[in-house]
Amino acid sequence: MKFLEDIILRLGAVDRRVIFVLIGLAVLIPLLTPISLPVRETPTTVKFYDGIDNIPKNSKVLVSFDYGPSTRPEIHPMNVGVLRHMLRNGHQIYISCLWPDGIYMALDALEEITDEVNPDNVSTFDIKEYEDYILLGYRPGAEAVIKGLASDLRKVYTVDANGNFIDDIEMMDGIKNLNDFAYIYSGSAGYPGTFEWVKYGGDPTGVPMSSGTTSVQVNEVIPYVQTGQLIGLLAGMPGAAEYEKLINVPGIAIQGMAAQSFAHIVIVFFIVFGNLAFFLKQRRDRKY
Amino acid sequence: MSFSAILGAWIAAFLTLGIFSYLYRDNPFYKIAEHVFVGVSAAYVAAISFWTQIYPNLFGRLFPKDGPLAFTGLEFDFNHEFNILYLFPMLLGIMMLISVFQQFNWMARWGIAYTVAIAAGLKAFGYLNSNVLNQVKASSVDIFSGSLPLFSLNGDSVFNNIVLVVGTLSALMYFYFSKEQTGNFGRFTRLGIYFLMVSFGASFGFAVMGRISLLVGRFNDLIEYSSADYNYATLGVLVFIIVTLGFWSFQNPERKEN
Repeated sequence: MKFLEDIILRLGAVDRRVIFVLIGLAVLIPLLTPISLPVRETPTTVKFYDGIDNIPKNSKVLVSFDYGPSTRPEIHPMNVGVLRHMLRNGHQIYISCLWPDGIYMALDALEEITDEVNPDNVSTFDIKEYEDYILLGYRPGAEAVIKGLASDLRKVYTVDANGNFIDDIEMMDGIKNLNDFAYIYSGSAGYPGTFEWVKYGGDPTGVPMSSGTTSVQVNEVIPYVQTGQLIGLLAGMPGAAEYEKLINVPGIAIQGMAAQSFAHIVIVFFIVFGNLAFFLKQRRDRKY
Repeated sequence: MSFSAILGAWIAAFLTLGIFSYLYRDNPFYKIAEHVFVGVSAAYVAAISFWTQIYPNLFGRLFPKDGPLAFTGLEFDFNHEFNILYLFPMLLGIMMLISVFQQFNWMARWGIAYTVAIAAGLKAFGYLNSNVLNQVKASSVDIFSGSLPLFSLNGDSVFNNIVLVVGTLSALMYFYFSKEQTGNFGRFTRLGIYFLMVSFGASFGFAVMGRISLLVGRFNDLIEYSSADYNYATLGVLVFIIVTLGFWSFQNPERKEN
């Protein structure tokens, strides 16, 4: 028994750098030798999928890229999945960005989709700018931008990301404000993002909306799903993996879930042994 | 693979591994990566804000094509009409910039006061509507509705509704400080602490998951950059950083912390 206690105490006092290396290996090894683990859909993801699937075909939808490279691994797979799902259903996509680097994320996502080919080497999505999608671009101002979009989109966007006048673009005909969209989706990594879209976009206009967020935000955003202010939610990388499974296009999120799971096992292991070591040390200190 | 793509991969690998090197200890590679990140971010946001907002939306409205101020020689054609009201935000913006001179720093207060007032007004409505009223409405559930199942893992049930109501009330009561938290009231608020602890635990779990996801993303990129297409950028940078850091560590031994 004393031998076991000594091992636990040694594990509890291990150098933090050893833990970093072990977590690094737990993430790296499954990425180098892909392991397939089952992905089970959670109710919020299914609700999210159904919400997008139930938009009447060939609608106009607003997709906001509210993240940057720092949170790309979590949000990007969601946004690529959402674009795929929406394009499959024939929707016209209007892309806005509340983050300055969101525009590059949007360009990357569009490139990924346009480069996609089926086994016969034919493009999966034959999409054209100004017909199937328009990149409105980034505007600074956070909630003020959303408020502006809710009242008059053309006051916020006079030109699109390419510098073309909004008034001259045929796809913009009939679009005055957020009420002219059938659906709003925000892929959000923080401020400005989901919270601002709910408060100043979805709630005041009544346009149905949903969101994909980083794991860190999930606890704060989930009450909006409970109230129906958001139609489902994609929660971090697991949410993205579940959605990839639902749209039947396995991607980078599903690949990352094995690494995620192994890293969690290492972390749980150290939390358990760290606590055991703490209590054992306390008991020994009391004895002597 | 183009030269710019390969160069980009080498820079990305260097900056990523430079940041990771902090896990060993604070070092010059980490400092370089950190300072580059802060500098580039600030410059990028300033430049993009000017070209996407100030240039088309402010100058475009004050100096439109054939507008009344065209005689100044400044004309910006963004399909806007002249709007004199936009002089006001421009003036406030200039006043905030002038505050770098100490004798004029009072001027910044006007701009800040305007911004704070607008933000307070905007946020007050948003929070009240979306975070207070809608959440209160959602917490008002029919506990003993005959149509609900007694227990369900997902969705509405009598048990879940009881947990929702008791959890909300006890957690709120914990923050009620006008009555001493003793006796039955104390036991009820203690229950509130347990609910809060469960919530914090879930937040911690999600935070860990988020960080691991970001690590997965960086590792994916590093694996990609370690291929021959990128001239083995990751491996090259990794060897360089390890060798240099080893040499540097011998010269700057870590001082033991108390």
